[in-house]
Parts: sequence; C-alpha cells; structure tokens
Amino acid sequence: MTAMLTIENLSAGYGQQSVLEDVSLQVGAGDLVVILGSNGAGKTTTMRAISGVIPRTGAITFNGQRIDKSSPDAIVRAGIAQVPQGRGTFPELTVLDNLRAGAYTRRDGEVDKDIDHWFDVFPRLRERSDQRAGSLSGGEQQMVAISRALMSRPKLLLCDEPSLGLAPLVTQEMMAVIARLNQETGLSVLLVEQNANLAMDLARAVYLLETGRIVASGTPAEIAGNDAIRQAYLGY
Amino acid sequence: MDLPSFSELLQYIFDGLSVGAIYALLALGLVVVYRGTGHLNFAQGEMATLCTYGVWELHDRGLPLILALVIGAAIGFGLGAVIETALIRPVAKKSPFAVIIVTIGLFLGINSLTNGVWGPPPEEAMPSLFPNKPDDFVSIVGATWRYERIGVLVVCLILGAGLLQLFKRTRFGLAMRAVASNPESSRLVGISTSHVLMASWGIAAALGAVSGTLVAGVNTSVTPGMMFSIFVYASAAATLGGLDSVGGALIAGLSIGVVENLAANIFPDWIGQSMRLAVALVIILVVMLFKPSGLFGSSKVERV
Repeated sequence: MTAMLTIENLSAGYGQQSVLEDVSLQVGAGDLVVILGSNGAGKTTTMRAISGVIPRTGAITFNGQRIDKSSPDAIVRAGIAQVPQGRGTFPELTVLDNLRAGAYTRRDGEVDKDIDHWFDVFPRLRERSDQRAGSLSGGEQQMVAISRALMSRPKLLLCDEPSLGLAPLVTQEMMAVIARLNQETGLSVLLVEQNANLAMDLARAVYLLETGRIVASGTPAEIAGNDAIRQAYLGY
Repeated sequence: MDLPSFSELLQYIFDGLSVGAIYALLALGLVVVYRGTGHLNFAQGEMATLCTYGVWELHDRGLPLILALVIGAAIGFGLGAVIETALIRPVAKKSPFAVIIVTIGLFLGINSLTNGVWGPPPEEAMPSLFPNKPDDFVSIVGATWRYERIGVLVVCLILGAGLLQLFKRTRFGLAMRAVASNPESSRLVGISTSHVLMASWGIAAALGAVSGTLVAGVNTSVTPGMMFSIFVYASAAATLGGLDSVGGALIAGLSIGVVENLAANIFPDWIGQSMRLAVALVIILVVMLFKPSGLFGSSKVERV
C-alpha cells in the first residue's frame, strides 16, 4: 500500500537558521502517526513546513501529488488541515465565524450542515456559537480549533501538541476525540506530542524527533521496547 | 460669550456632520489598511488626491462626473493593490518601521507628483456631485442644510454601512477579519493573505478617491495639498475610533466634525477657526489617556 503522505529529506528553518534536517516519514491512509520530541526538537517546524507556511526543501507527496512547492491554500484544498500549536483560534471572531473560516476553501452548499455536525460532536460549542472564541476556556478553544480544521473536510489532519496547556482530563477528552475520528471516519492523523504516554496508545507508528532529525521510528511496541528511548521519553 | 440659539446650534451640528463625514470616509480607508496589516498609511490622503486628479482628468475629457468617479475609484483600487504588492509587502517582511518610512515616502512622492503635473495654473475646477447653487438647501427649524452637505453625509453613511456589511456578511469580509485576528491561522485555513492585503489597500484607495472627489467638489477645485489637514483629522478619527473598528471610525469622524465645529463657533474668540485642530487633538489626548485602545477598538491594538 502506498502512503497517503510521504516526506523525503525535508529541511526547513527560519531565515539562515536551519531547524529541520533531512526529515523523512510516512503516513498511510487511515493511520494515526505520532511524532515524539521534546521542546525545540522541530515538531512545530515540521507541521508548518507540511502546511507550507514556511520555506522548505525536500519532497512532500500527498496522494501522489507533490505539494512541497504549493501555497498554504492549495495544500488545504488538497486535503490537509492543521490544528496549530496553542490552538490558534481567531480570538476576536465568534465560534461560528471560526468554523465558517475553516470552510473558506469550500464552495459547496453543505457548510451549514457540517457546522451543525460539529456542534453535535461538541455541544458546548453550540451553546457558545455567538461568543468570541478568545473568551472560551482552553479546552473549548481546542474544540474550536479541531472543528475549524475539520470544516475543510480534510483527508489528513495535522495536530500540533493538542495537550499543550490543557488540564489532564481535558487532554484525555481531546485525545479520545482524535482517536475516535481516526477510527470511525478513517481520517488520517499526524500528531506531534511531547507527552509520550498520551500519544503512544493511539499510534500506529511513532517517529522520534531530536534537534531536527528523526533518530528512531517504529511501532509503539518497538519504541517502548527500546530501553534508552523508554527512559528518555516515557520516564519509566 | 453669547449662548447660541437653538437654530444656530442645529446649524453648527449640521455643518459639523458633513465636515466629519469627510474625515470619516478617509478614516475608513486608514482602518481597512490597519486591520489587515497593523500599519498606518501616511499616504492615504495623498493617494486620495492623486485619484481625485484622475477623476478630474476623466471628467475633463467629457465623462459625466459620477461615471468618472466610479472609474477613478476602480483605478484607485488597482493603484492601492499595486502599491501594497510592489512597495509595502517586500518591506513589511523586514521591519514594521520600514513600512512607516515607505508610506511617508509615498506621501512625499505623490505630493511632488501632483504638484509637478497639476500644480501650475490654471487650477483644476471641480464641479460638485450634488446641487450646490445658492438656493439649494432645506430649512430645518431655522437652520439651513445645503443639499451638497446632505449629499456628502449620505455618501459617507452609505459607504460606511456597505463596508460594515462587507466585513460582517461576505466570505471576503470573513477572510479580512480572520487575517486581522490571526494571520498565521488564516493561512492554515486556506485564506490567501496576500490577496486580502492587496484588496484592503485597494478598498482604502477607492474610498480615498471618493472622499477626495467630495472634498474637491466642496472646494470647487482640486489642489495638491487639499487632503493634508483632512488626513490629520482622519487619522485622529481612526485613532479615536480604535483603529480597527469601522463603526468606530465613522462615529469618531462625525463626532470630531461636530465637536470642533461647535467649539469653534460657540467660542469664536479663543478657539475660532485657527484653533479647531487643537480641539480634535485634545479630545484624542483625553481618550487615549483613559482608553488607549480607542473608543471602539479591540484591546489588542497597540501598534501605531
């Protein structure tokens, strides 16, 4: 089976400073793949490079189509949506407008139907649909960010540290939502986390990112079976 | 000091509203650009003057004034978009201060261009868009309201309301609000920020074309420096309204017009015509001291 997303020798950075060096990874259709790494390892840079919001070199192929030269809006249209780190909602816009903005690339008439669907999934968002997103709690803003990304009807969802700054219980709820989307709708997910324990249970494949390079990869069991990795990332 | 009669008071308010409408229109242009990029366009007034000369040229060649204005506004839109793409964007990547310098440079450049091309006599006579013969007015409780002044106010309110609807109801307006709120996330949902910024500058320049043509009509001629003091009032109105608020700029522009006109006429001896600008600046100073984000601005606004 060919992978949905194939990244080969991806390098990216900011100005003169290179952050990612020769990163290669794959996400198969319907897979949930996790990139583990500590602060500053290059997780967010990887996500931003895939979405095309920073300059990058290397080959990124999505559903057989090269997207490494594409603009961010073309990448969204191709079917990749991102939930950015720190949620990245539009704080001054209402919850409803946040979701509408998520459907910006769509021209079909089913946007309202989809908004209704995500309000069913997250009933708290329906209650707060006319409130400014910035006035919501961290967990609610994460729900806004996830539903906003899904409003573009993506085939691949990029999630940049959804646990960041959330209470443990809320984090579990978010992870459960992401896992359910992956299992029930077949949505492919590429998740970056530094909280290894959370992510390992869900993953089909795990990549380990250290200072801009992939240093190990495998199934969750393989990664957990490696003593050095387990001690460094899982803490037992 | 004699207290003004009711009809005098009404007169000052009428006159103030129509002057304020001009400030508001130019302020709307400033707000549209500020929302998108966080920059104050110091060339907004001069761009308006340039577009007004364009309108004059078209009218001088026989086009009806209203048609000349529509075409002039369209050309203004293109001019704004080109300026954003060619001059502002390359510099904005480097430093926000550089953008200020570029807009000041544009101000000077356009000013010398208009002076050089149209400055020498004869003066470019501009008709008004509205009836402005001596008896074109209505009397309301002893105050006269000239059709031309009513027309200026109505145009300002229509364009302001149109802009509010554009922001609130359209897909493009949603994109503009999203870019103002969070540029990076806008790109992640597939909004082309470059198109939004181009269009913001275009809309601002088109609004400038309208305000310039109204000013020239009231002055009965186009002159290179005609927007200068109006730009000062307009940036005051934009600041007072909160810089990122369309409704705020409208209300602030109209209020500044009314208050300065009332002050100048009620205290003719120690404010009078020469100190009008000071009144506007005092209002702003007081508002900024107590509410730095302006009357209607979102509190995240901090750059000026």
